[in-house]
Amino acid sequence: MSGRRVSFSGALVFAVGSLLLAGPSAGQQGGTPAPASTGSPATGRAQAQAASPQEDQVLRVEGEKRFHANCGRCHQSPHKFPPRMVMTIERHMRVRATLTDEDMRLIVRYLTQ
Amino acid sequence: MLQVSLNSAIHAQVRCAAALLVFFIAPVVCAQSQDETASSPADVSLPQISPVPIFSAGLAYNTFIQGGTPNLHPLASPVILIPFGENWLIESRDTFEINLAPVPGENGYKGYLQKEVDYLQLDYIASPYFTITVGRFLTPFGVYNERLYPVWIRDLQSDPLILPISTGPSGAGTGAMVRGAFKATPKIEINYATYFSSLSRDTPFDSDRDIGARAGIFLPGPRLEVGGSFQHLLDDQHSNAFGFHFAWQPPPLPLDIRAEYARSQNGSGYWIESAYRLSDLDVLHGDLRRLQLVARIQQYYLGKVLNVNLPQVNTNMFEFGMNYYIRDDFRFVTSYGRQLAPEGGNMNLWTLGVTYRFVLPVGHGDIQ
Repeated sequence: MSGRRVSFSGALVFAVGSLLLAGPSAGQQGGTPAPASTGSPATGRAQAQAASPQEDQVLRVEGEKRFHANCGRCHQSPHKFPPRMVMTIERHMRVRATLTDEDMRLIVRYLTQ
Repeated sequence: MLQVSLNSAIHAQVRCAAALLVFFIAPVVCAQSQDETASSPADVSLPQISPVPIFSAGLAYNTFIQGGTPNLHPLASPVILIPFGENWLIESRDTFEINLAPVPGENGYKGYLQKEVDYLQLDYIASPYFTITVGRFLTPFGVYNERLYPVWIRDLQSDPLILPISTGPSGAGTGAMVRGAFKATPKIEINYATYFSSLSRDTPFDSDRDIGARAGIFLPGPRLEVGGSFQHLLDDQHSNAFGFHFAWQPPPLPLDIRAEYARSQNGSGYWIESAYRLSDLDVLHGDLRRLQLVARIQQYYLGKVLNVNLPQVNTNMFEFGMNYYIRDDFRFVTSYGRQLAPEGGNMNLWTLGVTYRFVLPVGHGDIQ
């Protein structure tokens, strides 16, 4: 019985892992790139150059809004950190607070400007 | 009779597995369908800045006076974050604490150092919708254990009575976890976490053998989050546990309202906490803006199986606290609570302390 439970649990973890790993691949095969993919530096630079000052302002305001909405869920809104620290804290909070990719990008943009 | 029992146990596992699979698949399917329809500011690029390793620590010195007996409680909790590559992160948090208590018949206070690895995990951000974590991680049951537990974050320094329910002997699991978040609609975000933990009785890495999941819905507009958690223990009595959590920060007010409910064979209960920062008050030269008022009420009901980490009798408790923020990372904390246990154990709980947190970069990040 113990062995059966072990194998059952192993199969469950394997099945779940397979499904989740297969998920994004299927989406990418559909021909629609994920809008919020982590992206390469080159891609990011091209997008940054394309943003107009008006769009910049809109994104900054949206970023501030997301910053207070998400960071304030658990603690007082912290003061700003240096950009290189923000990039690390972003990864940490993305996992810890399960931020969406979009929220994370807007918050990082707001905190590093 | 034995065969009936075995079949029942297998059927219970199958039902549990089916529920978990549906739970896992739904977010991925929703995320994929979202790919085809979403048009949002997610196109915003990340700045070309290399992340830098971070060393941080939370420090606290609290005095608890419980039933007239003072306990001194110094605590240090270092956090290390090491990012590498584009999507990887190693993170850990340890806790070193001493509970100094008076010894009858002797002078002074005595205690011993307690060490705990809260988490030591490797994260891989596999896609915008999910992250894979292996190692030792905080058990994602409810939100208090993962998000609100650190002494520099929590509004009241005492733990909620129901915290030990389903967070294991140390609040952490050792195994693997998949978690993530995505926008279901422009106004609704879904977050989820699911995990498998193996049995470990080696201090400071002790954990239970279990599987579980948590899912939440977050509405960014009203800043409202609700969610539920489930856990199935794979050892001992193969019991189930479930819980619900709620959090709301009404945007016009500096107010936090949070609540959790948990139920297992060890017991059940809930807590409701409200914290109000007087940042809107412009009296006494604005000094009151730094003050935060906190109140919490909680009830715990004994279960079928006793757990040494939980109260041994039905317990009600209310607490009122005041926190004064010198800075956002440095504050004085104080609270008064009254524990009411009809079967014995009525007592007052006073808390007085200070909490501080610092964050330092380690090395240099390269701006590309």
